[in-house]
This record gives sequence, C-alpha cells and structure tokens, in this order.
Amino acid sequence: MKNKLRGIFHWIDERVNLRDLIEFMGKKYVPIHEHSVWYYFGGVSLFLFIIQVVTGILLLLYYKGSEELAFESINFIMSKVQFGWLIRSIHSWAANLFILAAIIHMFSVYFTRAYRKPREITWLTGMAMLFLGMGFGFSGYLLPWNELAFFATKVGTDIAGVVPLIGKPIMILMRGGDDVTGATLSRMFGFHVAIFPGLFAVFLGVHLLLVQRQGMSEPLGYEDSPETQRTMPFFPNFLLRDLLLWLLVLNVIAVLAVLFPWELGQKADLFAPAPSGIKPEWYFLFMFQSLKYIPAQVLFVDGEVLGILLFGLAGLLWTLVPFWDRKSAAGKKSRWTTYAGLFVVLYIILFTILGWLA
Amino acid sequence: MSERFGLRVMFIVFLLVSPGKASVFAQDQCLACHELIEDNHAALFKRDIHHTKGLSCADCHGGDASKEDMETAMDPKAGFIGIPQGDRISETCAKCHSNAATMVKQYDSILPLDQMEHLQTSVHWDLSTSGKEHIVQCTSCHGAHGIVPKANRNSPVHPLNIPATCAKCHSNATFMRDYNPSLPVDQLEKYKTSVHGKRNEGGDPKAAECASCHGSHEILAANDVRSRVYPTNLPLTCSHCHSDAAYMRGYGIASDQYEQFAKSVHGKALLEKKDLGAPACNDCHGNHGAVPPGVESVSKVCGTCHALNAELFATSPHKKAFDSRKLPECETCHGNHEIVAATDELLGVKGRAVCAWCHKEDSNIKGYYTARTMRALTDSLIAAEDSAIMLVAEAEQKGMEIGEAKFKLREIRQARLETRTKVHSFNLKQFQEVADGGFTDASAVTKQATEAIDQYYFRRWGLLVASLIITTLAVSLFVYIRRIENEQAVNR
Repeated sequence: MKNKLRGIFHWIDERVNLRDLIEFMGKKYVPIHEHSVWYYFGGVSLFLFIIQVVTGILLLLYYKGSEELAFESINFIMSKVQFGWLIRSIHSWAANLFILAAIIHMFSVYFTRAYRKPREITWLTGMAMLFLGMGFGFSGYLLPWNELAFFATKVGTDIAGVVPLIGKPIMILMRGGDDVTGATLSRMFGFHVAIFPGLFAVFLGVHLLLVQRQGMSEPLGYEDSPETQRTMPFFPNFLLRDLLLWLLVLNVIAVLAVLFPWELGQKADLFAPAPSGIKPEWYFLFMFQSLKYIPAQVLFVDGEVLGILLFGLAGLLWTLVPFWDRKSAAGKKSRWTTYAGLFVVLYIILFTILGWLA
Repeated sequence: MSERFGLRVMFIVFLLVSPGKASVFAQDQCLACHELIEDNHAALFKRDIHHTKGLSCADCHGGDASKEDMETAMDPKAGFIGIPQGDRISETCAKCHSNAATMVKQYDSILPLDQMEHLQTSVHWDLSTSGKEHIVQCTSCHGAHGIVPKANRNSPVHPLNIPATCAKCHSNATFMRDYNPSLPVDQLEKYKTSVHGKRNEGGDPKAAECASCHGSHEILAANDVRSRVYPTNLPLTCSHCHSDAAYMRGYGIASDQYEQFAKSVHGKALLEKKDLGAPACNDCHGNHGAVPPGVESVSKVCGTCHALNAELFATSPHKKAFDSRKLPECETCHGNHEIVAATDELLGVKGRAVCAWCHKEDSNIKGYYTARTMRALTDSLIAAEDSAIMLVAEAEQKGMEIGEAKFKLREIRQARLETRTKVHSFNLKQFQEVADGGFTDASAVTKQATEAIDQYYFRRWGLLVASLIITTLAVSLFVYIRRIENEQAVNR
C-alpha cells in the first residue's frame, strides 16, 4: 500500500514538482505569542466559506430563481428533498457564522496591526471579501422570496437609493427596475451565485497566496525580544490545529441547524402592506438603527443622506487604514488607532443591541 | 284686459248682493275673489288645515291679501310670486315648518321641525332630470291646497292612502326609468298580496305601509347603510311593530321574533358580524309582498340559500313523509326564527338528536338505524380529524415543515361539512361515500404528521451520532497534535 502511494506521489512529483511545495511548507513557521489565537479566525472564515460553496451548490440543484417558483422550490427542498432541510439550514447558519468569523478576523488584524507594510494588499483583499460577504448575505436573503426578505430588500435598496448622484442608478441596478419585483429576485440570484462568487474567488486567491508568500504577521514588538520568540511549524502543527477548530465549528453548525432550523416564513406578497418590525440582517443592524436616530434634517442636508455618507466615509477610512496609520507602518505603537478601533467595536455592539431590542 | 274687467264687475255685483260678505275685504281678498270665480283651489283651500289655522293664500303665494284691487294685491312689488315653482315650493313650506317661532309659539304645533332637513338628506332630494330642481317637493306627497292632517282619512299621507300616494311615482315605469331603471315598479302590486297590504286595504291603519318601513321625509335608498331597510337594519325596523306586544295584540302572532332571530345563527351573522350574506326578515318573508312562508314553500325559501340541502331533501324519502303529514320541511327539525347553528347533536337517536322524535328503535327501525349509523360515522370522522389536527400541531410545534398535511386538514373539514349536507339525503350510502373520503384524508394527514414527528426524532438522534463522530475525531486529532508536538519537543 505504502509503495503504491509512494508511486502515485512520484508520478505527480515528476510533473508538478511537489517536493518544492513540501519543502516550502516545511520551512513555514507560525509565530507563537499572546495573540496567536486570532490567527485561527482566518481559517475558520475559509472553512465556513467552503461550507457555503458546497451547500450552495447542493441547493442550486433544486432552487428555482423566479418569482413564481422561488418560495415553492425552497419549500420543496425543506420538505421533500432528502436532507434538504439540513443543507438549507446549514447554508443559512454558516452564512451568518461566516460574516461573524470574518468580522472577528478583521478586527483581530486591525488591533494587531497585521495590515501594516508589507500586508496592505492582504488587508484590502480581506476587506473586499468582507464587503462581498455582506453582499452575499443581502442578495441571498431575498432568494427564498418570503415576506420578511421582500420588505427588508425593499428597505435596504431604498436606503441605497438616497445616496446623492449614484444612489438611484445603484438602486435600479440592484432592483432591476424601480421597485422590488421578480426582476430583483433574478438579479439577486445572479449576484449571489455567479458575480459575487467569481469576484470572491479572485480576492480569496490573492489573499491566500499573499498569506502563504508573506507568512503570518507578527505583532508589534515581537521582534524586539528574540529570546522569547517562539514558533510552530505551519505544517503539520498549525494546519492540524486549524482542522481541530474546523471540526468544532462543524459541530456547532450541526447543532444549530438541527435544533434551530432556519424558518421559511410566508411567501412574499407584492401587494400586501409591510409587516411591522422589518429589520435587516444583524450585520446591517447597527447602520439601520443609526439612521433612525439621525434627525430628518441636519442643517441643510437630509438626515438619511448624511448618515449614509458618513458610513460610507467611515468604511472608506477603515479600509484605507494601512495608508494613514503611519506609526504602525513604522513599527511604533499607535494609541489613537486602537482607540478608534475600540470606538468602532463598541459602536457596532451598542447599536446592534439597540436595533435588536427596537 | 277684458277678462280682468269682467272679473271686477262680477266682484262688485257680488258685493252689492252680499252685503254680509263685506268683512272678507278685511280678511283674505285672494280667497274671496277666487271663491267667487269658483276656483277649485280656493274651494280646496277652504278645507285646508292652513286655512283653518288662519293662513291666507298670500302666505304661500305672496302679495297683499288685504287689497281689494287685484293688480295691487298681486303686485310683485308686494311680494307676489304666483305659483311657487321647483324647490321654491318646499322652501315656502319650510319657511314656517322649519321655524320654531312660527310653529310652536304661533300655532302651538307639535309637528317636528326637521322635515325639510330630513327631506334634503333623503334619496328624494336628488336632482331631477331637468337639473334645476330636486325630484320631490312637499306637495308631491301632501298635495297643495287641500292639505289636511295626516290622521285625516282624506290626507294622501294617511296610512291607508300612503301606498297609492307613493305608487303615483313608484308604479310609474316611465317616470321611474328616468331615475332608477333597476328599481322594480311592482311594489304596490306585491304589497297588495301581502298580509300588510291586505290589512291596509281592509282599512287597518296599523298595518305597515310604505312609510312604516322606509320612513317618510328621511327616506334613503335601500342600499344605503343608513337606510331603515338596509339588511342589517331591517330586522330592527320590522321589530318596531312586531316586537311591540301591545301593538300586535289582536293579530294572533307572537312578538318575540326579533329576540329569537337575534339569537339565531342568521341573526348573529347579520347583526353581529354584519355579514350581508345572512338573511334578514325579508329574505324569507318577502319585503313588499311579506307573508309567512307556507308549509309547502319553506324548503323553497330556505333552498334559495341552502340549495344543496333543499335539493337533497327534495329527493329524499322524507319529502313524501313530511308532505303527507303536512310538516314544514326545514322548520320541523331546525325551527324558524331561532335557527341555531346546525351541530352534529341534531343527528342520531340520543340526547338532543331530532331524528329520535320520529324514529324509534321499536317502531321505525330502518330510520333509527340510519340515523344511528350516520351519527356514529360523524363521531368517528370528528375523532379522526381531531387526532390529525393534534398530530399536525405537534409536528408544527416541533418545527417541522408540515404545510401539505396542514392544507389537507381542510379537506377533512370539507368532508365533515359535506356530510352535514349529505344528511339531508337521508341516504346512508351517499353519506358514507363522503365520510369515507374524509377518513382517507385523515389517514393521509396522520401518516404525514407521524412521519414528520418521527423525522424530528430521527434528526435529533442523527445530530447526536454526528456530534459523537465529530467529537471523537476532534479528540483523536487533539491527542495526535499533542503527540507530535511532544515528539517535536523531544527532538529539539
């Protein structure tokens, strides 16, 4: 048996030079320090993304992206397809956990300043994937074509529509017309299963390539004390630890999917009045809630427009942190960057809770 | 000119030969002169209540009634308007009839002062075809010069005359076509066939006539929700007389129909739920031709809504038996005004079952057996439905997708309702066919719900097994990591 496996290895090695890759991986080390635990969230995000891809493809075998059949096809998946309920429930839960893991990963990178030179592109591709992940969530939310999703999409696209100049064209692009209709569903379906995955694959490829090429970032001050520096081999130690965490995450998803199956709700009725308590997904909730608190008019600017512009500006600043945080880039501690990060974390937590309770 | 001259001469001659009449100059010159020329209006006005109360022609027509000279008396400068036209007629009447000072203080009248106000809100105050005036003026019903109190038998609005007064327009197809072509014009003909109409024709002023139900000045279209004859208001309108025991004394009928109707399934639907599909009094008794349905027509009357039941009954063995015993068909088992919701209790041979009234175990065994079997099937179907509902609820409560079974529950319910209709065939075979359909649906729902509940437990067991496998893998991996890391530490 061993000889046979060795034969297969040689056969592949002759063609793609596997030894070089193994040699490269063998030389790859992961720093061990008090913040090492945060390294795992990138892997968890990747694992959850893989689950999304697999379950998404399985759902695609039965899902029908049309106004007439979308709800019925999900109902069919949930009630008639063997383990369809499990696949759909895992897809929905894993989607949320993916966003959560990606957000934790982003903040851990931010607070450990792992975005500093030379990892600016890794940060930018990561941010692009987080935004795409939210796009996945927004577009996927409408696909069951149920009442809540329909009205949440209406509200969400309405908000996008108030952005000056580009808002209206963006809204029409998202909706496929002036209103949320079957055309919006087809469009969201297209975004969800073709456009976003394509873009995501590109960013993920670059991101992973850079992580492998540049290795794990070390926290500030790590290099100052060589006597306490410890590392572990990426292969097999870190990879096996990653795998162990993935197993635990898989177990959590299984428990959530079975004990709290994702509900389907009522089919969307375009002519029905909006039900009360329409809320977006939890990761948009802090922005949604903030917009509620902004007065209708602030000086001469529409309150909602101002809010959206402020969030846009904040998002842009956050994304460009490797370029304005000069101190970290120079290897120095930057207290104000930490304060800004803490403010953002607290703000998001507070407004998410307020939105949840509202 | 010559005519006026002639009139003057006649009037002077009249004065010369009738010295006793000289006093009329001081009272009503208009009447005196018009009487002299034998004007019928003047003759009528002499009998008019308004004349008796001291009103003169000038009070309506204007002018100066004290002036001997006709031109002076009928001078527009003196306010003479001639014959009031269009809306001016009613305005002229309202001048006094809506004026408390005139009516109460001057004439000590007890007439309501809001007649004009009511008329203006009524359907009769719609614009006429000319568009210049409203359709009905006071004189349309009350007349002009011979107006007498309503209680006077000669009044066109006396209860015995009202049907003919209303019919002047309402039985005139040509006239009515201009205003409401869909409104029938045979109300009077129907009314004459009704108990009310016959009594009215026989001189009973207490019998209901048009105004008793429709009102007088405030009449609204029957489809106006405020109308006294709007379906939800009609029972109360009828009860105005029919629930008044003192008023109804002498007619030999009960006065608790409204009370009974209000408690009935029909009454609750109509009066409480405002369900216009439910019958009001007129739906069974007729409106203008109101009579109690006869024994032979009860099932036809009920059958206008309960068509299937009536059809089944008509072909059932009960039809012949009821006819021969002169039993009112539906009413025998269901009652009349106080028809309660037909529950399954009515069926069978025990308790409140109505079948047992006639079908005894010892005397009418076939009917007794049929009733007993039908009830047993009904009870079984109810039990099957209840069990299916509980299983579906349990599956749903466990978070299982059970939409199809839930939808099929309706079919069981439908079968149950259908059996209630099929009872009226009094044919066990027909009844059982429908019940069997319900049983089949109940089994299907039970199977689906049971499978869903089993699936629920399967999922939990599956989760437990999967978790155990994952945990075992994780623990093994953990042990393996520890082992290789220990080996690495030793090698270092």
